[in-house]
Formats: sequence, C-alpha cells, structure tokens
Amino acid sequence: MAEQTSPPLIADDEVFLRMNLAERLQHLLLIVTFTTLILTGLPLIFYDLGLFKSVFAYGRAFYIRGLLHRAAAVVLILDIVWHVVYTAATERGRNNFREMIPRFKDFRDALQVFGTNVGLSGFLHRRGVGKRFFARHPFWLFAAEPEFDRYNFVEKLEYWSLIWGSVVMILSGFFMWRVELSLRLFPLWLHNIFIIVHGYEAMLAFLAVIIWHMYNVHLNPEVFPMSKVWLNGRITGHELRTLHALEYRKILEERRREL
Amino acid sequence: MNRPAFLISVILALGLGYGLAFTSPSGPAALGTPAVSDDDCLTCHGDPELNRADGTSLYFDQDKAQGSSHGQAGLSCVDCHTDLKATTDFPHAEKLRPVVCAACHEDIYQEIKASVHDGLEKKQVPVGCKDCHGTHDIRPADDFESSVSPLNLPETCEKCHAEKVKTPRGGEFIRQYEASAHFQGLMKSGLTLSANCSHCHGVHDILPTKDPASRVARSNIIRTCGRCHVGIEKSYREGVHGKAYVKGSGDVPVCTDCHSEHDIRAPEDLGSRVYATKVAAICVRCHDDERLGRLYGFLTSRLKTYFGSYHGTASKFGETRVANCASCHGFHDIRDSSDPDSSINPANLPKTCGTCHTGAGANFAKGKIHETPAEMSGNRWAQAVKVFYIALIAVLISAFLLFIAADLFRKVRLKWLNKRRPR
Repeated sequence: MAEQTSPPLIADDEVFLRMNLAERLQHLLLIVTFTTLILTGLPLIFYDLGLFKSVFAYGRAFYIRGLLHRAAAVVLILDIVWHVVYTAATERGRNNFREMIPRFKDFRDALQVFGTNVGLSGFLHRRGVGKRFFARHPFWLFAAEPEFDRYNFVEKLEYWSLIWGSVVMILSGFFMWRVELSLRLFPLWLHNIFIIVHGYEAMLAFLAVIIWHMYNVHLNPEVFPMSKVWLNGRITGHELRTLHALEYRKILEERRREL
Repeated sequence: MNRPAFLISVILALGLGYGLAFTSPSGPAALGTPAVSDDDCLTCHGDPELNRADGTSLYFDQDKAQGSSHGQAGLSCVDCHTDLKATTDFPHAEKLRPVVCAACHEDIYQEIKASVHDGLEKKQVPVGCKDCHGTHDIRPADDFESSVSPLNLPETCEKCHAEKVKTPRGGEFIRQYEASAHFQGLMKSGLTLSANCSHCHGVHDILPTKDPASRVARSNIIRTCGRCHVGIEKSYREGVHGKAYVKGSGDVPVCTDCHSEHDIRAPEDLGSRVYATKVAAICVRCHDDERLGRLYGFLTSRLKTYFGSYHGTASKFGETRVANCASCHGFHDIRDSSDPDSSINPANLPKTCGTCHTGAGANFAKGKIHETPAEMSGNRWAQAVKVFYIALIAVLISAFLLFIAADLFRKVRLKWLNKRRPR
C-alpha cells in the first residue's frame, strides 16, 4: 500500500523512445522504396489492367517505369545496408536485434492471441466440455492474452518476412536486371525461375503489407486511424505497460535496482 | 509552223480542193476524205461560250487537244465522231453515236471486254475508255498531264471507286491507299516505281480479286508483289509459309494477310499492321488457332506466353525495343526450328538472342521462351516454384485474414458485452 503514496516508477504519461531517428528514417525509406517498387512492378504482372495501361502505355512511360523500379531497388538496398551496419555497430541496434530473434514463445503467443480472440475454449469449458483436458493443459483454455516483450510475434513476423523477401527479391531482381550475366551463369530455365520467384514474392509481400501490416498499424481499432510511432517514435508508459508488458517490467525492475 | 497545224492546213487545203472539184455530196466520202473539216467543227465548237441547254460546255479547246496523243497523230474530229463524217446539215443532231475506240484499239478493247470494267459482274455499267483516259485530251501515260500518268492514276481511279462505284469492300478500303507507303513514295518522293493502282491490279485487264486469274488473287499476289519486291519474294518462298504456298495451301499467309492490301505501311509507321508492337496480333490470328495448330503441328497459346514474358509485357505497353515475333522468328522466310538455317534453331539461338543481348551464349537455348502451364514437363522446377508460392500465399494470407477476423470478433463481442452490463 506504500507504493500508492510514492510516485510510480513508470508514470502512464512518461514518454519512451521506441524508434529513434535513424530507425524512423530507415522505415521511411522503406515505405518510399517499397511503394515505388510495387507501383512500378505490378504493371508487369497485371499488364491487362486498364489502370496501368492508362499510366504506362504512353511514350517513354514504360521505360521510365523500369528506371524508377531499378532506382528504388538501389535505394532500398542502400537502406538495408544502412540498417545492417546500424544494427551491428550500435548498442541499441544490437539490443533491438537480440529482442527480434524469434523464440518458441512467439509461436505460443500467436496461438494464444488467436485462441483468446475466438473464445471457443472458454465457451466449451463453461459448458463442462473437456474438463480433464483443460485441467491438465491450462494453456489451451486461452484464459488470458499473452504478455509481449519489446517485439511481439506480429512485429517479429513482419521483420523476418522483410529480410527473407529482400534477399529473394534482391537476388532474383539482380539477375533479371543483368540478364546477360545471368544467362552466362545459368541456363534459361533457371533464369525463368528467377522471374517467376520475383513476381510471386512481390505479390506475397504486397498482400502481406496491404493486409497484415496495414491492419496492425492502421485499421486495428486499438490504433485507428494510425499508430504514430513511425512518425514521432514515442510510446507512453501506459502503452508500454499494456502492449509490451514484459519490457515494461524489465524497465521497472532496472529502476527498482537503481533506487 | 508546228506539225499539227501544218497537217491541219494541208488537210484543209486538200479538203477545200476536193470540195471545189467535186460537187457530188458522196464524192469526198468515197474518196476517203471527210466532207467535214475540223474548221467546220470549230466554227461552232471553237467558241468558249458555246453551251448545251443545261449549261454544260460544248467548247473544244483546240490548244489542249493538239497536245494530246490523237492531236499529235493528226486525227481529225470526224475520225472519232464518224457519224458526222458525211453530215452537211449543221447544227448536227444533239445526240451523237458513242465514239468507238475499238475501231483502232482493237487489242485493248478485247482486254477490257474480259475485265471487270466491262461489267463482268453484270450489275455494273461497263466502263468506257473516256472514264479513265478522258476525251479530247487523251495523253500517253508518261505525260505528266495524262489522267493515267502514275502521279494522276490514283485520283482517276478514285473518281469512281471512292464513292460512285463501290467495290465489294467499299470506298474507305480504296482510300486507305492514300495512307500507304506506296502512295507516299509516289506522291511525296515522286517515285513512279512505287505501286499505284495499276501496278497491282493491272491496266485494261483488271479482274475481281476472287477471280483466280486476277493479279491480286491469292494465287497470284506473291508474284504481283514480287514484281517489285524481288528479294522479298525469294525470301518468302524459302520459308515455311512460302513452301506451303507453292504447294497450294490456302492456310498460309500471303503478303496481304500481314501487310494488308491498300494500307501497306513501313514497319516503323505507328499505323502499320506490322509495327513492332502489333506484329504479335497479326501472327496469332493463325498461330493461336487450335484447328490450324493441330493440322500443321504447331503449338498455340503463343500470344499468352509472349505477353507473359517481359518481351510481351513491355510490348503491350508500347515499348518497341523489345523482341516481338519477327525479332526471333524472322518474317518473310520464317523457318521451322528444326531447319538448320532457322533463326530459332537451338544452334542459332545464341546469335539470334545476341542481336539484342550482347554476348549471349549457349545458355540462352537451355530453356523455353514460350513457357505455358501445359508444358509442365518442360520446366518442372518452374512449376514446382509456382505451386510452392501459390500455396504459400494462399496459406499465409488466409492465416492473416483469419487472425484479423478473430481479433475483430473479440473486439466487437467485448463492446457488446460492455453495453449490456453498464458499470
């Protein structure tokens, strides 16, 4: 009860820096290049779409589209290089990376969030179905939402998807760009696979961003119309406590020790 | 004194002499000398004001006529208007017998009689010599002023065929010629070798296209175009299309199937049917035809597989610097890939691809250019990668959507519960 009288170690309105300027700029560059790459790349997949026809079927527009696509690719690669160097060379970067490493808990968390949201286990439990099973495995009851560390499973999935996607796109794209080099090294049938991979991976990335990322940072009623972290980099103590409880407790613990 | 004038004066003098010597009306005719001289005609027709009741002119322009072929040859009025030869009563009857050119030009008359212009199709009115050649100012074709000079012929033919006399495909079809490279060559560059109407259709012996003897009939068109485009005809006859054409195949394309008939333009012309980005549409009229594919044993889905490639996609957006059908397959002498001279024979592919892709090597031949889903055996790995990605996308996106649905489901449920239980 004594705690109530003294000021809390982490106030609800205390501001924490979740993304520093470098991280925000990396993210901003990613937005710009990703959007450019999608807009200049999709016409090659949906070449019959009237919208693309009306934009790219005039004069040198299609040629300029190609230039823009490759220019954006180069900027994206530079962005990735910056990110890798930043991650390796700074304390904060290394720390972030450590937090980003996937663990078994992430898989469990995803299952738990889904189970809690559906609420079927609780419903069955209340009706007395599978009492013994739930007594032995309380996890499957999905009684409460999981607590997240600095990066939750959604963010980790997006981060690692981006890494995987970038590697695939840069490699296949490079050989599509330098087609003569590619065909000096590989047979045509393999080069054809690069083209297929580049197209499908692009579709996957596009859909993932449009559906998954846009929901989580924009349309989700919790953050609607938009989480502002990518702009100001800040989250409040309250948000830290509710959205990243494990990180919150870690900070709390540190401050207690410092007292 | 120039020659025609001299001749006329001689004729006049002789005529006058005979007229004085013989008073019998049958006298001059019997002697082969017209009783009616050109001067007699000109007494009235030399007046520029002389008009018919309906206002049309009856004036005979002597200067013009003297420059004509017949004027040069010294023909007199009544040599053609023979029914006036023995006329003494002037003014003569308003309606004269038609001039019979065949009296002298018998051979040409025979050609015309067998041609479309003699009303071969019976529905049409026969065309008279004067419709093309004019009347008093008929000039040889090499005279710039002649209505049948190469420079004037298109206009002369269009006088009827653009509007009045519709050929089976209409006047618009005829006028397409004016956009053609042939017309430009003729009118802009003044090359009379550039094809005009008669180069392709003939002169007096024009026959309807559907007549197998016509110069523009399918059976003759190669020869007709080849009269000028000799090298191209040679090339065509060496390719698969030409070889089948010689055997009488009705399926292979002839010149006009790809280049059109009147609207033939240079391939660089945006309106050309063989413009870089339009070639594919021409080729697949046959090469995406299942019936022809089965008959001749070629693969269809060529357009789909072309547009699916970067070459085809870029071409669809109007990019001309990418390969179209002709870039790889050639055009007039397209050969089967099994032919060692074929540009797409695997042995020649590096060279063919190398025209754009500098330094192209043997790897260009190791795989398919036209990949179709049906050719799974051609590239199993490609198929496997496609299936993998489609499955991955389907599973991941479904999972995302399911997750989002569950999230929204709970949020709506909680909101609803909170409303029911006011705190």
